[in-house]
Amino acid sequence: MDNELIYVYCLSDTPLRLDDISKQESLKCLVFQGFYAVVKYVSPSEFSEENLKKNLNDLLWVDINAREHIRMIGEVMQNSTVIPFKFGTLFNSEESLAKFIQDYSGSLTENLNYIKGKEEWSVKIYCNRSTLILQIGDISENVDTLQKEILESTPGKAFFLKRKKIELVDKEIQNVMQICGQTCYDELAALSEQTKINNTLSKELTERTDDMILNVSCFVNQGRVNELLSVVDELLKKYKNVGFDMAVTGPWPPFSFILIKEK
Amino acid sequence: MQENVINQSKNITIVEILDRVLNKGVVITGDVVISVADIDLVYVGLKLLLTSVETMREKRLAIVKPDQV
Repeated sequence: MDNELIYVYCLSDTPLRLDDISKQESLKCLVFQGFYAVVKYVSPSEFSEENLKKNLNDLLWVDINAREHIRMIGEVMQNSTVIPFKFGTLFNSEESLAKFIQDYSGSLTENLNYIKGKEEWSVKIYCNRSTLILQIGDISENVDTLQKEILESTPGKAFFLKRKKIELVDKEIQNVMQICGQTCYDELAALSEQTKINNTLSKELTERTDDMILNVSCFVNQGRVNELLSVVDELLKKYKNVGFDMAVTGPWPPFSFILIKEK
Repeated sequence: MQENVINQSKNITIVEILDRVLNKGVVITGDVVISVADIDLVYVGLKLLLTSVETMREKRLAIVKPDQV
């Protein structure tokens, strides 16, 4: 039989208004114990465990389906609080989905209550090492002192001091990145209900020339979102000259702040 | 409420999306559900793709160059 697996996008606390969702032909809203599951029926030829694994190695397939996953959840989120599911979560039947919801209803309700009225924002901080190196003499007293000493030394001594300077510059750059990164994080954390630090992504993946030094998800009360955006603007102004850049995106579905407790 | 990120920009990279939708949200394991645990495979795939795009570019350059002369 075709179309026999249930792909789950998210659970919601309000009935789905299909009129609000674009390209929703295959979308269904199933109701279980007061939870509204936004799902689509899919074919095992594409989504069985084995076929899903194969498809996850097909970049075009991943691109189309991951974008669709987040787009659907994003649209549902416009009018309700949502608990997003991991991309590629499938139930064998309506019964198995109903059982999951029944088994975890307590935890699901707790999650819904917790995420209501809050938004997930992503803040990524980047640092351009080359720009920072140019500034390091002005920022670091130690580097400045060593540089003066080099200028006043004999060529022989200067040779060794220059080698020492390379090490010192490297150490001081790490220091600046850590201090500025920490300051940024502290300010973001102060106005967030919760934060989650994610892995930084390599240049290969970000396709940027600078290094990602912090990748944080902030869970913010809706009333404080503008404050978060202003803080990011201020931090950027403060640290731009030392090679820092910040990218803020949101509101995302609250992927990072869902915690379903095992029974 | 702010406008949703999904509508804000069509230019969100796939990496930014995968950074969220993999291994976050409701992550279930067990008999009731199919869910690929070792989903880092996708990242491996991404890296392979990036490499192959580079290789393709190099190859194309190598092919194109003689014609351009």
